Amino acid sequence: MGQVEAHSAPGAQRAVDDAVPEPALIEAAHVTAGYDNRREHTRLIALRDVSLQVRRGEFLAIVGPSGCGKTTFINLIAGFVKPIEGSVRVRGSEVTGPGADRAMVFQDYALLPWRTVERNIRFAMENRRGHVPKSEQAGRVAQALELVGLTGFEKSYPHELSGGMRQRVGIARALVTEPEILLMDEPFGAVDAMTREAMQAELEKIIAETRQTVVFITHSIDEAILLADRIVVISKRPGTIREVIDVDLPRPRFDEQADVQRSPRFGEIRSHLWSLLADEALGAKQEGASR
Amino acid sequence: MTETIQGAARTNDQQIESIHVSRFAPLKNVAITVVNLAVFFVIWELVARAEVINALFFPRATEMFAALFNGFADGTIWPQLSHSLTNFLIGLAISAVIGIPVGLLMGASRVADLILSPYVWAMTSLPRVALIPLLILIMGFGNSMQLTIIVLSAVFPIMVNCMAGVKTVEPSLVRAGEVFGASRPQIYLKVILPYTLPFVISGVNQGIARGLVGMLIGELLGGGGNGLGFLLDKAGEQFDAPMLYATLILLAVMSVGLVQAMRWLEQHAAPWRDISRA
Ligand SMILES: Nc1ncnc2c1ncn2[C@@H]1O[C@H](COP(=O)(O)OP(=O)(O)OP(=O)(O)O)[C@@H](O)[C@H]1O
Ligand SMILES: [Mg+2]
Repeated sequence: MGQVEAHSAPGAQRAVDDAVPEPALIEAAHVTAGYDNRREHTRLIALRDVSLQVRRGEFLAIVGPSGCGKTTFINLIAGFVKPIEGSVRVRGSEVTGPGADRAMVFQDYALLPWRTVERNIRFAMENRRGHVPKSEQAGRVAQALELVGLTGFEKSYPHELSGGMRQRVGIARALVTEPEILLMDEPFGAVDAMTREAMQAELEKIIAETRQTVVFITHSIDEAILLADRIVVISKRPGTIREVIDVDLPRPRFDEQADVQRSPRFGEIRSHLWSLLADEALGAKQEGASR
Repeated sequence: MTETIQGAARTNDQQIESIHVSRFAPLKNVAITVVNLAVFFVIWELVARAEVINALFFPRATEMFAALFNGFADGTIWPQLSHSLTNFLIGLAISAVIGIPVGLLMGASRVADLILSPYVWAMTSLPRVALIPLLILIMGFGNSMQLTIIVLSAVFPIMVNCMAGVKTVEPSLVRAGEVFGASRPQIYLKVILPYTLPFVISGVNQGIARGLVGMLIGELLGGGGNGLGFLLDKAGEQFDAPMLYATLILLAVMSVGLVQAMRWLEQHAAPWRDISRA
């Protein structure tokens, strides 16, 4: 994954440090989205009037209670869900469907059960012609597997893996093409605490190198603070943006010396988030833990 | 690699031990089946010898085997068996070639579903026998009528199963296909079809069961003078109970053989699904 050159175009500096304002990479303007129930002639509004800009190279975390529309929001960016009102733009042009610039880590993994781990990861590279040269694919798969700590499981089928391992295959599949935008829907939800921390650190390192833009859904407040440049708090359904919090903690945050988790600023942000999610956080936390 | 990722990598050291599987394990099942069948035929023989049931309807097992042996020896059985088997396999192949694509189309396209559904469901639930007079009227007695009834019996369960299969494809798998750049045809080929395969196979399984019934109906009522159905009919008319039972045994062997072949296919086509539960 270490191909810094490809992504370090002049404009691709970490947006947080940018002095010159840059047009947003992802822009949601007054988006209302929902799902029609044709049988009962009703429409469930999942998100209402959401406006949000994600800058190039930014790491945006989304937190909020279960069912508040987080996945819906990420699906809007991916192009699976069309807004009822408002618009979602990537690089200034309206999203009409999925594209090579966006990859996704699915909440339910979405691995092809008849393919081995290796061939599942290859799936990300084999469909678009000329996307990744054939000769490069094997090496990339190996690299991605090493990254998620699954070397040696190339020939396993998803049903032979634990939930956490499947999720890591899903992460490897999304990372392998180094897309400009990474959409991650609770990517570490099924991963055990130890592995989770290792993978958070690894993700921070990867992002620092590739300067990918990340939209990251999580149920864990700590995870959001540790990884994100900004945290969006979404309220109960219909989801609206409750607050956007800047996480002005220094990077790298997983440095042993820095010990960000014990810094007073971390505690401040944490208790602020807690109070925001006061009524919902408890339920959300419990659900997160039981996954 | 950093220190931390080593922690993640450590999960790989899971122990894989080789286990001892007896070379005779598969033989054990065969042995059980052989003993089981032997006991069955011995009991049959004993009950028949006790003559609690009229020997006219219930011959001894040994008589049945003799009829079977003689039938093969003097060439009365084999032509009929091969006629039925050939007809059946051709009919099944035609049903699969028509049923699978149409079923997939119905699963994928709402318009196709809406247009075809009423006919498919009507044909799926209509008792096959009801068609015989019409088919005889159109095609007369003989092979094409027998083949048609097999196809009409087998094609609809195949269609319905394929359609149902496509509808169960997990939406997130299709989305994964879209995210990772698969075109519509690629999604069909790489996501929907493999996912549907177990349904296709169970559709063919039902097609086999229904097709066998269709085959017999065609041969019994169609009066073509061919096939195992004809053999049954003749044996019945001549009060040849041993032959009647011999033919029934042949039919049982044929259908069990086909079902086993499909099971094997099922397990090898979709090892990720736990078929044994179904
Ligand atoms: N395909 C769908 N059809 C109908 N309703 C849907 C669909 N997907 C989501 N919803 C509804 O939209 C609302 C928001 O769902 P969404 O999946 O975006 O929530 P979420 O914030 O991701 O929740 P979680 O944290 O549990 O994953 C929920 O009430 C859900 O029931
Ligand atoms: Mg969700």
